[in-house]
Amino acid sequence: MTSDSESTNHSAVPVVRMRGITKRFGGVLALDNVDLDARAGEVLAIVGDNGAGKSTLIKILTGVYQPTSGSIELDGQRFEMSSHSDAIAAGIDAVYQNLAIADHLTPAENLFLGSELTRSVLGIKLLDNKRMKDTAVRTLKERLGVELKSMDVPTESLSGGQRQAVAIARAVRHENLRVLVMDEPTAALGPQETSRTLQLIKSLRDQGLTVIVISHSLDDVFEISDRIHVQRRGRCVGVVETQTTSNEDVLAMIVGSKTTAAA
Amino acid sequence: MSESHSDSPPPPVGIGQKLEPYVSFIGPMAMILAILLFMGIAEPARYFRSSNLNQILLDAALYMPMAMAMTFVITQRGIDLSIGSVAALSAIVMAFLIKQYGFPAPVAALIALALGALMGLLNGLVITRLKVPDLIGTLAMDLVYRGFALVIAKGLVLARFPDLITEIGRGQSFFYLPTPVVIGLITMAIGYYILTTTHFGRYTIAIGSNPEASDMTGIDVDRHRIYAYVLMGTMAALAGVMLTGKLNAIQATSAPYFNLHVIAAVVVGGTSLFGGRASIVGSLAGVLLLSMMINALVTLRIEFFWQSVASGVVIIFSVALYTWLQKKDRDGSAGIGSLFASPAQSKTFRLIAMVAGSLLLLLLLGWLLSGNVKPSG
Repeated sequence: MTSDSESTNHSAVPVVRMRGITKRFGGVLALDNVDLDARAGEVLAIVGDNGAGKSTLIKILTGVYQPTSGSIELDGQRFEMSSHSDAIAAGIDAVYQNLAIADHLTPAENLFLGSELTRSVLGIKLLDNKRMKDTAVRTLKERLGVELKSMDVPTESLSGGQRQAVAIARAVRHENLRVLVMDEPTAALGPQETSRTLQLIKSLRDQGLTVIVISHSLDDVFEISDRIHVQRRGRCVGVVETQTTSNEDVLAMIVGSKTTAAA
Repeated sequence: MSESHSDSPPPPVGIGQKLEPYVSFIGPMAMILAILLFMGIAEPARYFRSSNLNQILLDAALYMPMAMAMTFVITQRGIDLSIGSVAALSAIVMAFLIKQYGFPAPVAALIALALGALMGLLNGLVITRLKVPDLIGTLAMDLVYRGFALVIAKGLVLARFPDLITEIGRGQSFFYLPTPVVIGLITMAIGYYILTTTHFGRYTIAIGSNPEASDMTGIDVDRHRIYAYVLMGTMAALAGVMLTGKLNAIQATSAPYFNLHVIAAVVVGGTSLFGGRASIVGSLAGVLLLSMMINALVTLRIEFFWQSVASGVVIIFSVALYTWLQKKDRDGSAGIGSLFASPAQSKTFRLIAMVAGSLLLLLLLGWLLSGNVKPSG
C-alpha cells in the first residue's frame, strides 16, 4: 500500500503518515499493523463495517488513544502524543459524532470552551465575553459561511447542522489546524443539512485543510472524498482513488469479497 | 446551516418563548406575588408590619450565601447535604475560640471560614478522588461533621458573643437593610460575576451540561468540582457565623435543615438538578420566596412542623415543573398555548393536577387530624 500512495499524483510528503499502527484492548486486537497517509488539501474517507477499527484509528490520530505499537509522522516529523491536547497543539483536531458540545452554553462559549479569551481587570484574569462572541461570529461567517440568527441562545436550541457548524468552528478556530477529523458528520442530519455539510467539507479542503472523514454513507463518501481508505476487521484492506473506483468495488472491499487495492 | 437554510425552520418566536429564559425569575416572582396577595387578604396587618418584613429579610439573608454556592454545586450535577453540619461545626469552633481561648472575634470568624473551606475541600476530595457519589459522600460527611460538633460542644449552648458577631448576624448599620442582608446580597453579586466572567463559572456550566465534552476540551473537571465544594463549605461556614450572631448563641445541633432549605431555594429559582442550567438571580428569588412562605405559615399561626411539609412540596413541584418545561423544549412545541394542544401534554397536565390534588388532600387531612389529637392510651 505504501508504494501505492507514493506513486499517485502528489509526490510531496503526506501531512499525516501513520505506519504499522497496532492497538490491543486487553486480548482484543482492534488494529493490526495499519498504515495511513493523508495529504494536504485532500478529503480522505475512512470506511468499513462496524468493528473494522475506524474509530480506534482516528482516536489514535487525535491522541485520545495511544497505539500499542507503530509510529505517527506529521510533515515527515515523528511525534508522540499522550493526550488529545497534544494533537490539538500539533494541528490535528476532531469533530466527533456527539459533537462534544455543552448544550447549555451559547455557540460562542462552546467555540472557546477550554481556551477562553481573557482580559485583565486589576490583575485578575476575567473572561472577555464580548471579544469571544465577536470572534465566534467572524469565524463562523468567514470560514464556514454560517450566520446564526442569535448568538445569545443556548446551543441546544440550534438545528443539527448549526450545532455541527459550531463544533467545526471550534476546531478551525485554531490558526495552526492542519488536519480535521470528522466522525460520521452526516449521520444525524436531514437530506438538506447533509448536502450543506458536504459542501462545507469541500470548502474546508479548498482552504487547504486535510479532512479525514469517517462515514457509513458511501454516497456521501463518493461525493466528497479524493481517496478512500477501507478498513476490515482491524486491517487496512486497500486505499483507492475515488475517481477511478465504483461504489460496488468499495462495498466489496468492506464486506471482504475483494481485498486488493484498485488504485 | 445558515439563516437561509430552511431544513427545519425555527418556530415563530412567541411571547412564551421570549419569556422562556426568564422563567427562573418569573416563576418565584409569581409565587411571591401570590403569597403577598394571599397574605394581603388573610393577615395584612401582621404580615406587612415593617418589623415582620425585616424579619423575612433577616431569615432570607442567612440562606443567601449558601444558595449562591449551592447554585454552583447543583449546576455541576452535584449536591451538598452536609452544609448544616459544616455551619454548625464551624460556628462551634469559632464559639470555643472566642469563649474558651479568648481569640479576638475577627480572627475566630476567619478561622471558621477557613475551616468551612477545609470541610468543603474534604467533601470534594471524597467525591472526586474516592469516587463516592455526591449524595452519599456528603450525607456521610454530614454525620462526620455533626459528630465532631457534638464531641466538641457536648450539650453546651454557647451564648453572648462580641459585637462583631452579632453585627454580622442581626446588625442594622445600613439604614433600612440589616447587615446580614447586605452581606448576603454581596455574596450573591459576587456569585453572579463568578458565574458569568470567570473560568470557574464557565466550566461549572460546561461540566453540568456535558462532563465528557468538558473533559475532552481539556477542562480539569475534578478540580473545578472541588472548587465548587470549597466555595460551598466556605459559604456554609459564613452562614454558621451569621446564625451564631443572629441568635447570639450556638449549639452542636443548630442548623439541622439548612441543606433541604437551600436546595429548595436553588431549585425553585430555576437551577436545574440535572446540571448545566444556573440562575443566581433565580436562587435569590427562591431564597426570598421560601422565607416569605415560612414567615406566612408562622403569621397564620400554623404549627412550625408544617414548614418542613411546605418546603418538600415546593421542591417536588419546582422540579416537576422545570422537568416538564425542559421536555417541552425538546419536543419543540411553542408557548404556553400549546399546553392542552396534544393529548400527551394534556395527559401530563392531568397527572400534575392529580398529584397536586392528592397533596392538597393530604395537607387538609393532616391539618384536620392535627387539630383533633387525642391522648393515646
